Amino acid sequence: MFKAKRLHPAAILFNLIKTVREFLFAIILGFISFRDESMFYFLLITAGFLVLFIITSILTWYRYTYRVEDDELRIEYGVFIRKKRFISKNRIQSIDLTSGVIHRIFGLTKVQIETAGTGTGAEASLSAVKMAEGEALREELKTGGAQQVDNTDTADEHPEQTNPSQTISFKRLFIAGTTSGSVGVILALAVAGFSELEEFIPNSFYDNTLEWVIGLGIVILIVMAIGVLILLWLLGIAGTMIKNGNFTITKNHNELFITRGLLEKKQITIPLKRIQAVGIQESIIRQPLGFVTVYAEVAGGSMDKGEDFSSTLFPIMKREEVEPFLEIFLPDYGGIQQELTPLPKRARKFYIFRASIIFLILTAVVGFWNPSFIWMPLVLLVGSMILGVMRHRDGGFHQHGEQLTIRHRSFSRNTIMMYHKRIQAFEKKQHKIQSQQKLATMRLSIIGSMGTGTHFAIKDLEESLTDELGDWYSYRS
Amino acid sequence: MRQAPVNRIAEDAVKAWKITGAIFAGVLWLITIGLFIVSYLLEFTYWIGAVGILISVLCSYLFVFLLPILRWRRWRYEVFEQEIYIQHGILIVSRTLVPMIRVQHVDTKQGPILKKYKLASVQISTAATTHEIPALLEEDASELRDRISTLARVDEDDV
Repeated sequence: MFKAKRLHPAAILFNLIKTVREFLFAIILGFISFRDESMFYFLLITAGFLVLFIITSILTWYRYTYRVEDDELRIEYGVFIRKKRFISKNRIQSIDLTSGVIHRIFGLTKVQIETAGTGTGAEASLSAVKMAEGEALREELKTGGAQQVDNTDTADEHPEQTNPSQTISFKRLFIAGTTSGSVGVILALAVAGFSELEEFIPNSFYDNTLEWVIGLGIVILIVMAIGVLILLWLLGIAGTMIKNGNFTITKNHNELFITRGLLEKKQITIPLKRIQAVGIQESIIRQPLGFVTVYAEVAGGSMDKGEDFSSTLFPIMKREEVEPFLEIFLPDYGGIQQELTPLPKRARKFYIFRASIIFLILTAVVGFWNPSFIWMPLVLLVGSMILGVMRHRDGGFHQHGEQLTIRHRSFSRNTIMMYHKRIQAFEKKQHKIQSQQKLATMRLSIIGSMGTGTHFAIKDLEESLTDELGDWYSYRS
Repeated sequence: MRQAPVNRIAEDAVKAWKITGAIFAGVLWLITIGLFIVSYLLEFTYWIGAVGILISVLCSYLFVFLLPILRWRRWRYEVFEQEIYIQHGILIVSRTLVPMIRVQHVDTKQGPILKKYKLASVQISTAATTHEIPALLEEDASELRDRISTLARVDEDDV
């Protein structure tokens, strides 16, 4: 692999799509505001820009070359300013392969190479190379050598326990979809989309439809509403299935290797030593059903890796399956979970207050200005108070040896397990009322995926316990 | 964690903070004056201006007279061989432990106001957080920086 290579020409297309997507908002805005008189000019300008984009995309592709030489990945790129980036093989932390829908049509993949740096993007990103080429590149650049890659590729054929692997079952995937809670998001999107769409529907059609709908009567309206909801729900399921379909986690040596996605196929590598903490998330919908998501806080990944800045280790499993799962894949974190020390009872009022204060004010305001609608903020107020109680009940920690487990809830309940040596800083915070009540807030910082750090705070712990944890953390003792 | 750190920051910090507060308050006063001019020109009600004065007076008092002193009283730090211990905060008192082996780098920083009083602040960064000890005497600051950076070199842990 000493010869400099270009990316697959499809990279031009991806480049173009990326540029257009960045300007999409401006284009849509322009389209809406110039709808009438100056449409022609607007289209002309847009077309001009498009030509420009195409030319730059081609040039960018033409100038972008990569090769592996002297144990380095050498990339040369740049249209006006020529840039060279050399990444040494043993600096590379992970190599991820992602194949989007278009990628898969052409049999391509995107290679993202990350070093320990804490930038927002991947250190190097080859937007389109042949699948085989991508895999060869990964093999070439891996410090550990070829045998690792071999193992992952053939893990399915050899059932030996050398490389434990776990795949999500269809049934579980379906449950994950049904409880994903993405219905709300899609609903919001649909409403937003519809209000935009309204602009383009001719008035007469709109009126006619409205008359027709009202004519149908309330029953049919309700049926339709339910139908829409079910449709959205199904879309949510489909979304989860597409995203997490074929989710497979494989462990080999000191890496976790995750493959997921039906349409867009993603392959992610997580080096074990970069895992800072392991978390168990129970969303409000899944918790009563006993389902949890297992995730890891990984240091120095890039933005593209996960939407919530941490990597999902397994999208859904039964709570009691977590322990065996951790025993196999992350033995360091197995057996950490214990009964937690709960928050003191007198902390509850603070939790209720914090959760409900906004709605309390809202209720007062609505009650003052428009008493007939008071039930709306009242419902929210009661809901938020219940949430406050739940947050209080779920908060807690357990410290044993070098291990610390903490649990807190915002909406979902998160149990986070970490080690003393992974904690970057320990903070104890107290305001006047807290110190009178002998309570304190504890805040722990670990390395986050963006180089900014991830922070966990447990509010209103017993002060003496916070001090004990401080002593535990302190290197002086 | 039970005992507060022992070292206080430089006393001139109060003066430096007062100047910073005064600049902030000055901007508010300028805006207030601007509001009055606009109200006069456009024949608006002067109520907005009055509210502006109220806010300016309050902020002047808070940021120039009250808060710098309170802040100074609360600020403490202590540097041990193994860790740095910081206390700060006016309403919410916060005590932070930063282990030496987690320190990635230390900076000293000095703006024009701090320079006037021969002060400098020390910034301590870990991979996840940044902590600042503000307004130390210049020589203390650079001494502290060198000391922390020597102590921080102890261990090379994996990331």
